[in-house]
Amino acid sequence: MFSTLFTGLKIVLTPSTFLLITAGTILGVIFGAMPGVSASMAVALALPFAYAMNPVIAIAFLVAVYCASITGGGITAILFRIPGTPSSAPTTFDGYPMAQRGEAGKALGFSLVASAVGGLIAAFAMALISPQLSAVALKFGPSELFAVSFLGLSVLSCLDSGNIVKTLISGLLGLFLACVGMDPMLGIARFTWGNSTLLSGIEMIPVMIGLFAVTEVLKQTVKQKKIDGANESDNTSKMKTVLPSFAELWETKIPMLRASVLGTVVGILPGAGATIASFLSYAIEKKVSKHPEKLGTGIPDGIVVSEAANNAATGGSMVPLLSLGIPGGNAAAIMMTALVIKGVQIGPMLIKTQPEYLASVFGSMLLTNIVMVIVAMGVAKVFAKILAVPYSVLGPVIVMLAAIGAYALNNNTGDVVLMAGAGIIGYMFVKLGYNSAALVLGLVLGQMCESNFRRAYTLTNGSLVQIFTKPITAVIMTACVIMLVYPFVKPFISKKKEA
Amino acid sequence: MDIIFSVILAVFCIYCFFLVGAESPAATPTELGAAFWPRIILVMMIFLLAVNIVNNLKAQKENKSSIMGELNLGEFLKSKLLVGIILVAVMALLMSTIGFMPDCLLFLIAYGFLLGERRIPLLVIRSLAITVVLYVIFQGALDIMLARGVGPFREFALFFEMLLPF
Repeated sequence: MFSTLFTGLKIVLTPSTFLLITAGTILGVIFGAMPGVSASMAVALALPFAYAMNPVIAIAFLVAVYCASITGGGITAILFRIPGTPSSAPTTFDGYPMAQRGEAGKALGFSLVASAVGGLIAAFAMALISPQLSAVALKFGPSELFAVSFLGLSVLSCLDSGNIVKTLISGLLGLFLACVGMDPMLGIARFTWGNSTLLSGIEMIPVMIGLFAVTEVLKQTVKQKKIDGANESDNTSKMKTVLPSFAELWETKIPMLRASVLGTVVGILPGAGATIASFLSYAIEKKVSKHPEKLGTGIPDGIVVSEAANNAATGGSMVPLLSLGIPGGNAAAIMMTALVIKGVQIGPMLIKTQPEYLASVFGSMLLTNIVMVIVAMGVAKVFAKILAVPYSVLGPVIVMLAAIGAYALNNNTGDVVLMAGAGIIGYMFVKLGYNSAALVLGLVLGQMCESNFRRAYTLTNGSLVQIFTKPITAVIMTACVIMLVYPFVKPFISKKKEA
Repeated sequence: MDIIFSVILAVFCIYCFFLVGAESPAATPTELGAAFWPRIILVMMIFLLAVNIVNNLKAQKENKSSIMGELNLGEFLKSKLLVGIILVAVMALLMSTIGFMPDCLLFLIAYGFLLGERRIPLLVIRSLAITVVLYVIFQGALDIMLARGVGPFREFALFFEMLLPF
């Protein structure tokens, strides 16, 4: 551990490497804050710079871009309700209401600190117990992954306790939309009606951007008072990114730690990643929080759990890459490509034969997560100035940024139409009291849930008993059942106590 | 409104339930088949939508309101919301034909006007400047290919791409 720490710091504190990591952090935060530029796209955009570097420094640079881009995604999620990266979508649930109340600076402060804490915890976990974590990850087969995704879905029963039926319908609609396209096991087209565009399924990013950003612009269009643009100018032009006080941070310590650990573990799991980590973390917080009804109304806990988890997942995704040679996500796969091009032999022996790679990633994550707070504060300040722009300018620009974000995914205008459709339906959804967050949750977890369940069924020769009696699966599924049943049993328990 | 939405969604779910069954091969002892998962979801949705319809009908009976009670069609047709929805939809549909730059410019002008900006020269200049900035950032600096459109619009987009310094 200490040798890794010292070697890592020795690598990253070399003046040239330090500058490169700082530059990577700045690039990452800016890329991440741009809608449509996902974390993996940010790493891909930074790849040409890495070609000219020594492989050990190249991986440190790319890790800096990766971690910082995930943090950058939270800036626009809080200020404009546009998640810069999909993993920042849950940040909008509490970050945007806080910004609307004039507490954007504070919300950003919580977001940045939580990101740094999540990233640092994941970095230490990676350096300390990388081989052990990889061994645990290898125990997660299809049935365990199904249980993990089901755990995320179990939150649907309490996402909006005011209207459980509508929330469940919204979540199921998301799960249904995830079924559109090619069947994950047999390759059969489902609900495509002969349309070739639908064969690849309904993309999560355009739907998410549409539901959050376009719906918000349509809502503001209806609100006459917002139109003149003068209302927000006074508050936001003076907005400062305020780091929360120690006492305020201390209050969020448990959710922050819980989200960091969860994010690290989810990051390690193949096929999961930062988006599922942040949604799952938010979902679990909603279940275990002492005040679940406040989540979604604009409280720091909601921001903290989402941002700590998605940044922790970045560290987690590096664990299987470095200890097994298996990329944990898209960004890790791109980094692996960069190393392979450089002639590095990726595989289980990498940590033993060339420990400087683990040290370099560790050192880079330590440095990035500290530098990132300062850099992101500066970037957030610039972005916050945009809020002072009259809404007659800002509203249409938000829609166009959303359109670029949707289009950039596949260079397909069909995704822009999908984004617009999601925005319009999202508005109707909100007006009728349905839950957009539940729909997105269903869409995010749908395919993971279905494909892993069916894979597990095939692997166990059709034995449901074998699927659900595997130790890890059984524990997680028991937790799911308790979480699902608790909201319905809770009133009876309270009544009994009162009696 | 909610009842109408729930009924339409429920009918659509029933249609999809039979559609997915007809399109997919039958399940085997070790493979659940392509229809299994969507059908579970659809059955749960149909059940919950029925519950929602009943809940709404009960609430209406208590409040003595009608199904169309909350919906004022005349007001909606004259609202800024409808114009906003149309503008967003037209922008999305036109992008493949006219390309990003003209589409963005026209949308910024039209939506800006909808949101109350009446100083037309300022609106046009501002929209043009924003379009150019967005184009240079995404198409130029970030190398994200933006829609070119077809015919003369494509030629126009290619001409601009040649001008980019990146």
